[in-house]
Order: sequence, then structure tokens, then C-alpha cells
Amino acid sequence: MAYDREDKVLEEVTGKAYEFGFTTDIESDKAPAGLNEDIIRLISAKKNEPDWLLDWRLDAFKLWCDMVEPEWPHLQYQKPDFQAISYYAAPKQKKELASMEDVDPELRNTMDKLGISLEEQKRLSGVAVDFVMDSVSVATSFKDKLAELGIIFCSMSEAVQEHPELVRKHLGTVVPVRDNFYAALNSAVFTDGSFCYIPKGVRCPMELSTYFRINESGTGQFERTLVVADESSYVSYLEGCTAPQRDENQLHAAVVELVALDDAEIKYSTVQNWYPGDEEGKGGVFNFVTKRGICHTRSKISWTQVETGSAVTWKYPSCILKGDDSVGEFYSVAVTNNFQQADTGTKMVHLGKRTRSTIISKGISAGKSQNSYRGLVQVMPNADKARNFSQCDSLLMTDQCGAHTFPYIEIKNPTAQVEHEATTSKIGEDQIFYCLQRGIDEEQAISLIVNGYAKEVLNKLPMEFAVEAQKLLAISLEGSVG
Amino acid sequence: MSQSSAVQDFVANVQAPEGALASLAQEGQEGLDVLPVPTRKSERWKYSPITAMLAHPVALAPAPDGWPADVEPNPVPGLEAYRIVLVNGHVVPEACDLPVADGVVCMPWRHAVDEGHLANFDWSGYHRREWVGALHAAYVQDGMFLHVDKGVTLDRPVLVHHHTTGDHTAACPRHRIVVEDQAHAEVILWHSASSGATGMVNGVLEASLGAGARLGLDKVQHEEGEVFHLAHEHVTQGKDSTFRIHSMTVKGHWVRNELNVVQQGQGAHTIMHGAYLPKDREHVDNHTTMDHTVPNCTSSELYKGILYDRSTGVFNGKVFVRQEAQLTNAYQQNANIVADAGASINAKPELEIYADDVKCSHGCTVGQFDDEALFYLKSRGIGDKAARALMVQAFIGDVLEGMSQEEVAQEVETLLADRHGWS
Amino acid sequence: MLTIKNLHAQVEDTPILKGLNLEIGPGEVHAIMGPNGSGKSTLASVLAGREDYEVTRGSVDFCGADLLDMDASVRAREGLFLAFQYPVEIPGVSNLNFMKAAINGKREHQGLEPISAKDFLALVKEKSALVELAGRLRDRSVNEGFSGGEKKRNEIFQMAMLEPTLAILDETDSGLDIDALRIVSQGVNAMRDAGRSFLVITHYQRLLDHIVPDVVHVLSEGKIVKSGPKELALELEEKGYDWIKEPAV
Repeated sequence: MAYDREDKVLEEVTGKAYEFGFTTDIESDKAPAGLNEDIIRLISAKKNEPDWLLDWRLDAFKLWCDMVEPEWPHLQYQKPDFQAISYYAAPKQKKELASMEDVDPELRNTMDKLGISLEEQKRLSGVAVDFVMDSVSVATSFKDKLAELGIIFCSMSEAVQEHPELVRKHLGTVVPVRDNFYAALNSAVFTDGSFCYIPKGVRCPMELSTYFRINESGTGQFERTLVVADESSYVSYLEGCTAPQRDENQLHAAVVELVALDDAEIKYSTVQNWYPGDEEGKGGVFNFVTKRGICHTRSKISWTQVETGSAVTWKYPSCILKGDDSVGEFYSVAVTNNFQQADTGTKMVHLGKRTRSTIISKGISAGKSQNSYRGLVQVMPNADKARNFSQCDSLLMTDQCGAHTFPYIEIKNPTAQVEHEATTSKIGEDQIFYCLQRGIDEEQAISLIVNGYAKEVLNKLPMEFAVEAQKLLAISLEGSVG
Repeated sequence: MSQSSAVQDFVANVQAPEGALASLAQEGQEGLDVLPVPTRKSERWKYSPITAMLAHPVALAPAPDGWPADVEPNPVPGLEAYRIVLVNGHVVPEACDLPVADGVVCMPWRHAVDEGHLANFDWSGYHRREWVGALHAAYVQDGMFLHVDKGVTLDRPVLVHHHTTGDHTAACPRHRIVVEDQAHAEVILWHSASSGATGMVNGVLEASLGAGARLGLDKVQHEEGEVFHLAHEHVTQGKDSTFRIHSMTVKGHWVRNELNVVQQGQGAHTIMHGAYLPKDREHVDNHTTMDHTVPNCTSSELYKGILYDRSTGVFNGKVFVRQEAQLTNAYQQNANIVADAGASINAKPELEIYADDVKCSHGCTVGQFDDEALFYLKSRGIGDKAARALMVQAFIGDVLEGMSQEEVAQEVETLLADRHGWS
Repeated sequence: MLTIKNLHAQVEDTPILKGLNLEIGPGEVHAIMGPNGSGKSTLASVLAGREDYEVTRGSVDFCGADLLDMDASVRAREGLFLAFQYPVEIPGVSNLNFMKAAINGKREHQGLEPISAKDFLALVKEKSALVELAGRLRDRSVNEGFSGGEKKRNEIFQMAMLEPTLAILDETDSGLDIDALRIVSQGVNAMRDAGRSFLVITHYQRLLDHIVPDVVHVLSEGKIVKSGPKELALELEEKGYDWIKEPAV
């Protein structure tokens, strides 16, 4: 009896069309579909890249040709046809833009719809935004202010031209070309992304943020992000995604590399809301991302993610705790609804002495979705006195969905202390009734309860992002209790 | 046919059994050809590759001339139990002491096959799923068949003692236990091996419990020599039944215990407890699957390990809660102490949940002995070694105490004390 | 204010209320007593709109409207408050956010703007003093890690915040020590006024020493079998419930 009504609410809400689904029509400079050495040469030439980078791409392509797509994730999907994807698309921009006013009006309109227009961002939050549309950056701001401090924050293409020594030194050092199928693919064909360098001893005064968006029909997106925090520096980096609605599946295979040198700290926050497919499970983005950071002595990398989108997610932001006394953190909320599938988690590899890691993962499954946590905690023989604490909770909203936990714990040191806990629970009918009795309606009750459940993670987000994330959780789950 | 030559050699000398067993062995043979040999790349075997085992071909040993004089048929002093004993997969009838009672059938597994007690060989389908299962089926030998009729309680436990001896011996014992509605049986599975023994023990045990039935297993592995031990236990449980296993790996060169329990009737309860204390370069893997397929069932799983020297331990526990299995209450805990540099543990406690109104939790810890507690003991005049021994006993105590036969638990403690120099 | 006529209700096909009649006027305090299983808590749940309880016959009029026709949250917004026998824990949701959502829900229902942060905090300060609820309890997650007594005090705090027209106290005295009982009762008594009615459900007479009722009803087997002045409670305490049941046969 109680279920009937809730099922109805569930149906109503899951019937809600994707709110940010719209397509912008901009002429594209687009490569033909398919992948071969010529396409890679084309990409490299279009971007006027140095020879070493072309060679690097071609090596990656060779490796990729011999690799197979991973089968181990708890995911079922139609494997993408890599020869049906176009690997390069650039919005037609005449030349570099002097100011915001020069930005294509159509593009600016898109930004307005997303509520992230650069002016607003500039005025309201003091955030420098590097807006990536399809594969080429079209606008950056706050550059001058950052430049005063010696901070470099620009598109990857620009970095390759302007700071080739930094790019060459770090690119592929954290995520090697051969790391996995998608990382190899990305290395071969990445078109753009963001580059960030914080000099020694500098504390970046603002949150750096990049908004990604898949736009061109049939275009896969292969972002490459590299953040290098030099000794004793600090940076907080935000990444947020929305994507337009469409029928065919889209592939997104980004690589993010973080380098935290001695005593540096990088805080990397993501709110991910790629188009998840419709309520029938049709369409939606495939998000196969490799994110990894390396921590040198006494440095710290903190990953925080709120994942609500994508049809299929395969993502494990990781930390290599190489330096003694370094710290890795992973805070995640992953929501799946309808037919979404997520296999996400982290890897904490303890190499240095007294390295510490914390993993807090909160999975929320609704509809007919499958939500898996997969994580690795590895303590190597030299990592004396390493510590890890992991807490992986799952919340189930219906009896049609699944919540799974696959932690891998590999310990090779007798002084390690590792603690993993996982629980599974249902959203409590008695909790909802308690709220109702206080005059709080069902939608709001679920929003309250879910946000309460995810609070530990949401608290780790920068303030302006936390508000957005809470809204996103509410939108993703409205009424979806079973 | 695609298998490497080393593997071909390893299984080359299989003699296919005849008669009622021919079809099982035949399926095993086919499986050996088509199933992949487990390697580090197979998810289920990544921490326990069998490469080292495959390096030396093994062969089935001929039936022995009686029970070896230097081995006690009953390894547990003071234990009063029925007994069925095997050497290298062969039942030794003169050393057995089988129960004779109304409502109880207990005989060598091979006799039961001949008499038609086993209508269906492949409950678990193990030999169709796994290469090592196919290997077992192709070599399948003998074991115990135990059938307890409705409402009957076996008056004494049955000890199943398997002893391995000789060079490059292959032993493939197979047991089957059927406990009918409201019946009750306790079984002790004891594995020993002589000090020079090498080869492989690849055993299968199938058990089914009827409504309200109870079955308890005390399992002890204490094998000298260098024997690779693969064990596969497959248990199905009916309504309101209780299955319990306490599994102690005291000593074993290379051990892989696979335990699958499927709850098929509401109100079933399962207890899976185990402990492992490998030394030297030993390897112990406990791979469990708890499958909740129906509503209102409970399970409690606890595995504890202490890894010494350069040993490796693996715990892979999977809890399934199927969509039908509402109101499941499943608990899983794995605690490890890595005692020495060079030792390691790989743990993978997994939950796969498809029902929402359930209580499921798991935990896994890796740590050390509590220094405070050690100091406390020492401050009361207890020497370092004795204090550590006390801590170890306390650590694995909750597994030992759960064994149904006190004599078995005591013998395990004695063996552990000898091995680890506690006394 | 509240008129219950011939109320029948069941849980999973087991009838529990079997023709209950009750009338509560504005400003009145009614107590309902009865043995375990007589349907006391069922009555509270039915009035609050818990979904597992199915009303099969009868009507409930609340301030001129059909109570049974409203959703649980609408009943609350219309001024019905239930102090739970077992208050629910909601991890991660702060008590104050919870109350703010509740108050704004009610204000929205009344066509009012959301309460300002300043007014809200002033209200919290005023009302928490009433039940001696320390700041630490107010700021924590809803009921999480609260002792039994703290949970009950939190219920009364919430009641004071929401200023209901009808408050139903479901065995609020259970699990309370004498100090907590005093604090809870003081909170309730401070809220008594001409426009607010109370329905106090209890198993024992001792709560009624502190919250003195105008009328006492005895519930047995899903019906009110006897009603009388406050002295009836004393009589029940002395003689037990059996003497009530017998004449009904």
C-alpha cells in the first residue's frame, strides 16, 4: 500500500525530461569519422604541435591498437565503435579573442542557459573559468591576475605552444600512455583540455574551474588535464559538466593528471552531470575517465566528486602516495537512476612512509540502476606505518536497483593499519513519515534525507559548488523512493 | 586443445573412470579443453594463480595397502566419532567405523554412486564453470556419502579424514551430504599429509539441507609436505535450516578454499567462520560466496588471519542479495594481522545487492596486535612470547570456540601451539 | 476541533479500531488510557496519517475539514502534531534545518513568505528554553545519538516551534526519568491555551499528575469504553483495566 504511492511519485519524477538538454548549433571544423595514423597526424597538425608530441601520440596509438577494452567493471553496455567516431571538431573561431564580447553569440547563449556565463562567474564568484566547448577552449579569464602570481591556467593547446617544457616534463608521468585502454586512446587523440601550473610557495587565491560540455553531434570528447602544483603551493580546482540530450551514445574518455610536489596541496572537485540517457535507458554519455594524482613528500591530493550523470561511468580518481607523509583523500557521492550504471571508486597506492588515505564513498541507487563502488587500497613493503580508512555506504531507493561494493585491499607491510567498512541501507519509510508529520512534503523529505546521508562528502566541496551539488542531488532523485 | 604443453602434461595421465561415473569424468575432460586455465588475469584467481602447481605433473596414486601405520586414523585424541578415512583419494575400509542406524546411510561415495544414491552429479556445476573443477571431475575418486533421514539426529559426529602421501600425487576426493527435513548431523573434515608429500588435493563436497535441517562442519587443514590443496564446498539450504562451518587452516603449503552457500528456503541461517595462520612461504586463500536468493534469511561470516614470515593470505568474500531476498540480514567481517615484513594479505570483501529492504554490512581490517594490551600483559609479568601467544589465541578465539567438537578445537590449539612455539 | 465518529481502522487486514468515537473541544486536554494492544498508538498513527493504517469506516473532522482526506504533511500544516513514541533518527540532517523546512512548509501552506533567518533563530532560542534543550542537542542531526529523554524533549521542542492546534502525545512518558518527565510536562503545560487542544496517550497515570487532563477516556479493544473526569485515571491505576472490560461484555 505504502509502495503504491511512492511508486507513482517515482514514475512522475523519472518521467521528467533532462533539464539541461539542448543542442547548440555552431559550424564545426570536423574530421571524418575513424581512427588511424593519418587522423592523429591531422589532429597534431591542426594544433600545430611539436614533433615530440606527435611521436608520443603515435606511440600511444600503436599501444592502443593491441589493447582490449576492460571487461572487469560491473557494467553492461554496447561497446563503442571507435571507427564511427570523429576525433576532431573545433568550433570555427576566426582568431584569438580579445574580450568576452568577441565570443560567438551562440556560444554565449549556451553558457547563459547553463547559468555559467563568464561575466556572471567573474562578477559573482571571483572564479576564473576556462570554458571548453567541444574540444577547443574558446575563452579564458582572470588570466592577468593569475599571471601576476606566476600561475599558468590555460588550455592544453596553448600550454603546448607557450610552455612546452612544463608539458613535456609532466605529461603522461602520472597516467602513462599504456596505463589502460582509454588512457592510451586519449593519449593518441586528445584535442584539448586544461593546463594549470602553480609556482613554488604560491597559494592560488581563487578556485580554478573548467566547465566541460559535449556539443558536436557524433563527436567523442577526449580531454587532457594536467595540474602541477610546485613545492609548497596550493590550488583548488573545480570541474563541472552538463551535456546536451541526444539519442546515440557518446564517448567521453578524459585523462586528468595531478602532480603535487613536496608540501603542495591540490584539491580537485568535480560535479558531473553528463546526459544520463532517457527513462528507457536510451542514449546518454559513456564516461570512461582516468584521473590520477601523484603525491610527493608531505603533499596532499584530495578528490571530491558528485556524480549524477552519464549512462555508464567508469572512473577511479586515484592517488599515488609516493612521498613520505603524503596524504590522499577521496570523497564521492554517486547517484544512479533509471538505467544508469556506475562503476566508480578510487585507488590509494601507499609507497611512502607514514602515508595516509581516507575514502568516503556514498552511493545512491534509484530506478533500475546499478551503482558499484570499486576501490583499491595498496600498501607496499616500504610504506611503513601507512594508514587507510574507508567507509563505503550504499542507499537503495527501490527494489529494482542494485548497490555493490568491490573493495580490493592489498597489504604488504606489517605496520599498516587499514580499516574498511561498508553498509547498505534503504531510505527509511519511518524517516519520511517523520518528516511528513512535521509538514515537510515528500519531495523535500527525500532531498533532506539524501543530502543528510551525503553530507560528509558535500561538506568537502567549495561552497559555491556545494550548493549546486545539493540541487543536483535533489533533481536527480526527486521522489525516487521505493 | 589450446592449453599450453605444461598444462597438457599436468593432466595427461588421467584414467577415465567407468560405469556410472563415466559421464561426469567425460564432462570434466571436455571442460579441461574448453575452460580457461586460471591465471593472475582471471578475476577469481588473481591472488592465487596455480602456475606453480602446474609446473609439476601429478598422477593418481594406486589404492594403498591399508592405512599407513604412522598416521592415526583418528587424529583428534578423545574424539568419539564415526569415521571414514581416505588415503590419496581412496577409501580405506578397514580403518573406517561407519554408523549403522535407522535413517542413516553412510558409505563410500563410490558405493553410493553404484547403488544409485546420487541421481545428479552436478549440483554445483563447478566442473563446467572452472578449469580446476573440470580437473577434479576428470580425476574424480571416492569419498563419503552421508544421508540423514527426516527428523533423524546422528548420535555422534562423522570424521572424514583424508591423508595425502607420496610424490606428485593427485587426489580428487568427493563427498556428498544430504540432511533431510528436521534432521541434524555434525561432520569433521580433517586433512593431513605426510612430510614428504607433494602434489595436489582437489576435493569437492556437496551438501544439501532440507527444511529445518542442521548441518555443522568442523574443517581442519593440517598438511605437511608441499601439497596444493583446492577445496570446493557447495551447500544448498532449505527453509529454516542452519548451516555452520568453522574452517581452520593450521598448516598447508598452498591452500584455496572455495565455499559457496545458496539459501533457497526462507528463514535459513548460515554461519561461516574461519581462521588462517600461514607461516614461511605458505599461501592460504578463502574464497566464499554467500548467496541470498529468498527473503528473511540471515548470514554471519567471520574470517580471521595472521600472516607470518613471507606467507600470503587471501580473503575474497562475496555476499549476493538477489532481488527476491528482501529482509536479508547479512554480516561479513574479515580481520587480519600482518605479523612480519614480507607477509601480505589481499582482501576483497564484496557486496552485490539487488534488494532494498535489507541489512548488509561488511568490514575488513588489517592491523597489528594492540601494543597497549601487549604492554598490559607484560606488566603483569607475562613474557613477550607468551603475551603474543595469548593475543593470538584471543584473536582467533571466537573462531575456535564456535567449533562444535571441543576435542577438535583443543587439538587445533595444540597443533598451533607446537607450530608457533607458544608452549 | 476534533470529532471522530465510528472510526474503524486496520493494519494488514487485522482490525484494531472498531468504532471509536471522540470529541475534543478547543483548549481541552483529553487523556486516553488503556491496556497494551487496545489501539492507543494506532489511533495516534491513524490521525497523523501513517500509510500502513487503513481506515475502513468512520470519519474524522478536524477544524471543519475532513482529516482523512489529507496527506500526512498537509495534516501537519493544518496544525496537527504527533509527538512520536519512538522519535526517528535522520543522520546528517541537522535539527535546525529540519525545523526550518517544517516551518517554511507550514508558512507556504498559509501563503506566507519563508521565515527570516533572524526570526527563526529568535524562535529557536525562545522555544528551546522551554524544554531546557541545550544548544548542542539543537545543532546535532535529528535525534541521532540522543538518549531516550533527549529525544522526547526534542519532540516537545518541535511542538513548541510548530505551535499546533492539536497535539497528540503518544506515550511521551515512556522511558523518561522523573526529571525528564518534569521538563517535558512543563513544556506542555506552558503551551496550554484556549486555542490549543491536547490528546495525551499514556499507559500510566503518573504523566497525568503533571499534565492534568479535562477528560480521561479508557480505550479497550478498539473502542472507548468509559470516559470520566481526571479522577478516573486514579481509579484505573488502583484497580487495573479489568474492571472496565467486564461490564462491557
